[in-house]
Amino acid sequence: MSFLDTLLGRTRTNSSSVAKERLLTVLVHDRVKLTPDMMEAMRAEIVAVISKYVDIEDADAIEVSLLRGDTADHLKADIPVRRQRT
Amino acid sequence: MARIVTITSGKGGVGKTTTTANLGTALAIHGQRVAVVDADIGLRNLDVVMGLENRIVYDLVDVVEGRCRLRQALIKDKRFPELFLLPAAQTRDKDSVTPDDMVALCTELRREFDFVLIDSPAGIEAGFRNAIAGADEVVIVTTPEVSAVRDADRIVGLVEANEKGHPKLILNRIRPDMVKRGDMMTNEDVVEILAIDLIGVVPDDQSIITTTNRGEVAVMDRNSQAGRAFSNIARRLMGEDVPLQVLTSNTGLLNRMFGALGLRR
Repeated sequence: MSFLDTLLGRTRTNSSSVAKERLLTVLVHDRVKLTPDMMEAMRAEIVAVISKYVDIEDADAIEVSLLRGDTADHLKADIPVRRQRT
Repeated sequence: MARIVTITSGKGGVGKTTTTANLGTALAIHGQRVAVVDADIGLRNLDVVMGLENRIVYDLVDVVEGRCRLRQALIKDKRFPELFLLPAAQTRDKDSVTPDDMVALCTELRREFDFVLIDSPAGIEAGFRNAIAGADEVVIVTTPEVSAVRDADRIVGLVEANEKGHPKLILNRIRPDMVKRGDMMTNEDVVEILAIDLIGVVPDDQSIITTTNRGEVAVMDRNSQAGRAFSNIARRLMGEDVPLQVLTSNTGLLNRMFGALGLRR
């Protein structure tokens, strides 16, 4: 960050913390050995299974992501379900 | 009992060869009988880094293929009576040697030396597998950059899968001024990410380039910060308890004044 930025009170995240965060994210994927293709295939299968039981809002809105945890990494699926009164 | 230590990294250009040359020399200065082995077949470099390029007669592939005895291929460093180099072949490719050949070579070296340091090629292919085949332990060199740390993580996994135990980490080319202003990952960051033991931190130091230009190694230069760091790592390898030195940044007076005022440039 330049001296001028400091004077004007502009702040920017340190590049080292950005580096660390990006590394941790990429390493979760590297270590689990899931390629983007496999993630997409898995997502499609999850959509197929879930939609047998509930009405899914929008297949494209489903997010499957790999997250870093303290002791284990987590595969998280976020599936919006259609809200309807019967 | 000899110890065979492979120096590797995954990514190229992070300082494997410089580290091997410096640790080998420092161990010899500390009284150990040392062989440094260049396992980068086809891209020989440890010889020029150590200033021994004019003395090569035979190389590692000559030994493996039985064209000479191991002792004929070992080059004695005249500056340090306990230091020897086994150079790589320059005109052959990495497929000239198999992991079994390397294990056999290491068995033979083990009889003659206290420490055998193997300089691994970059990558995770055949050359890397050859370099770790005969090792008792592995040291991973990385720099505090995302690409180098990512590759180091891959290497940690491969080393553990090959049952070489937990590798140790050398963090090379740290710039204390950049760490201080939050623009370079700290030792703690890298250790947390890789989850292996740190055995040394080496500052980015111009003396590495100037000594290598002359065919000398930084541990021979008393004024070299990097040389001191490598010397400390050598002592830790020998089992001495040497605390990690705090690297000081060479920031100018103006910067320190701004620092005191809470302003960072």
